[in-house]
Amino acid sequence: MHPILTRRVRLALYIAVWVVFGLLIAVVLAYGSGVQVVWALKFAVPLAVLLGMQSLSFWYLVQSMPPGTPLVRMALSWFGAGTVVLLIWLALAYGWAMWLQEPGQTYPDSAIGTIPLLVVAGAIGIVFAVLGHYLADAFQRSRAAERHALELQVHAREAELKSLRAQLDPHFLFNSLNSVAALIGQDAAAARQMCFLMAQFFRKSLTLAREQAIALSEEMALVETFLAIERVRFGERLRTRFDVAGEVRQMRVPPLILQPLVENAVHHGVAHLIEGGEVRIDARRRDGLLEIVIDNPCDPDRPPSRGAGVGIANVQARLETLYGNRASVDVDAADDRFRVSLLLPVEYEETDSTAPGIGTAHA
Amino acid sequence: MRVLIVDDEMLARSILSEHLRQIADVEIVGEAANGFEAVKLVEQLAPDLVFLDIQMPKLSGFEVLELLGERAPAVIFTTAYDEYALRAFEVHAVDYLLKPVEPSRLVAALERARERLRAKLSVPSAAELALAARPPGRSLERVLIRHEGWIYVLPVDRIDFIEAQDDYLCFVTGGKRLRKQQTMSEIETQLDPTRFVRIHRSFLVNVERLARIDLYGKDSWLAILADGTKLPMSRAGHARLKALIG
Repeated sequence: MHPILTRRVRLALYIAVWVVFGLLIAVVLAYGSGVQVVWALKFAVPLAVLLGMQSLSFWYLVQSMPPGTPLVRMALSWFGAGTVVLLIWLALAYGWAMWLQEPGQTYPDSAIGTIPLLVVAGAIGIVFAVLGHYLADAFQRSRAAERHALELQVHAREAELKSLRAQLDPHFLFNSLNSVAALIGQDAAAARQMCFLMAQFFRKSLTLAREQAIALSEEMALVETFLAIERVRFGERLRTRFDVAGEVRQMRVPPLILQPLVENAVHHGVAHLIEGGEVRIDARRRDGLLEIVIDNPCDPDRPPSRGAGVGIANVQARLETLYGNRASVDVDAADDRFRVSLLLPVEYEETDSTAPGIGTAHA
Repeated sequence: MRVLIVDDEMLARSILSEHLRQIADVEIVGEAANGFEAVKLVEQLAPDLVFLDIQMPKLSGFEVLELLGERAPAVIFTTAYDEYALRAFEVHAVDYLLKPVEPSRLVAALERARERLRAKLSVPSAAELALAARPPGRSLERVLIRHEGWIYVLPVDRIDFIEAQDDYLCFVTGGKRLRKQQTMSEIETQLDPTRFVRIHRSFLVNVERLARIDLYGKDSWLAILADGTKLPMSRAGHARLKALIG
């Protein structure tokens, strides 16, 4: 949408500028060419506003030729457009002059002399209009960029908050506490071990959440702690298998990106199976990307739960904020198996140049 | 008081039984690790009271109650998180305990159970339980059927059609007919009306299974399903189907 036409104040200001321009032309006409002052005003001010209206069309040309367009192309296009606008304006000026003519009265021959003056005035007006439009465009662009950066930041914060809230899944916490309470009576050492695991898990999630990116091995350690806690609860029903290639262990990933997916695999997959099942995590390098696959069996008789969808959507939103279309999340939901594949750009700690430029570094 | 403990987590069962063993008039008659076992053990052992976990694989605690119907004993729900409390009381649970269960809270719940048993309060009807077992505002997603000693958990999208016969319904799925004691109007209100249409007084059909409709006589049609089954369709049924699929 045209920025000047969207607000009345802007349009009024824009017209005011052109009225001033018209007054200047009138002054030049009156004192330079000896035209009557009243007539010069009647003639020049409406014409100047008319030129302003014609110049509004420059906005669309600016959009099609943003700064950075090859100079030759830009010069030619503007020269063409300017000439067309100028010629139309001159024709309209002629018509307007005829219209202002009193019946029975004719202009003196010297009136021809005002034509070069009008050409120059029109050209100056057009040049300033083009420059003004480029200025407005630059202003709008910088505002849009600012807003986009802010949006990205808000997204990143939201994702962080959501993942933190997911860490505090009340079922997980209370069920784990129940396991501890049960173990204390039967196996004090195991109860103590469970307390250590829980402390480790919560501490790790809190510290990792503050990072911008962590090594995959760190994320895997968190996931393994989570699964160790759940194994105390589910016993033999929860089985796990990891296959993480050595070369990808030091690659950087956003913190807590796997944890919610593994949590889904347990709570929406294995937990619904009487005999339980195996949660599999595979990570390898594929086609120059880091591929991580989380695969779990699920109950074919159970409608897909909405909770799982929320977790995946959350991961998706975070990856999109961080990497745009360089990362992807692929969900493959068969009847009795559920598989989420993540594809992430390969990043290491030192080569941080490919990291997105949002957010701030953390100590 | 004869008590059955139902929970899919071994540790959760063991801590509850540890507490219960210390209470003089309580006798633990059994433990079940899932809903199917729970249904079987309740029928075999006829306990006075069941401690019933809500989130379990395959059958939830609510669904166990639906299957038991009038044979359901007094129930104390146990869960880790109290998002189900309201529904628990709708199915007339004696009490609702949060895990980890505090012993004093357990004693109070048992006292309520004793009162309930002394008063011999009746349990709610199976229909009421089925209603409560369904998450509010959503259509039924699976149907529980006990047929010839088996328990079927039938996802609604596998139902081809439902036929009313005398005082029960036949759920037809892939050529198999499963019988359930229920009325047609009851199941009709529970199922998603955009997926199941009552094409006849005695037939409720899964719209996705419809292959075509043949005119059979004046004001009577035959619905032909994908597997070739022919079902009669009444005039009102035809109108209902037309209203749905246009």
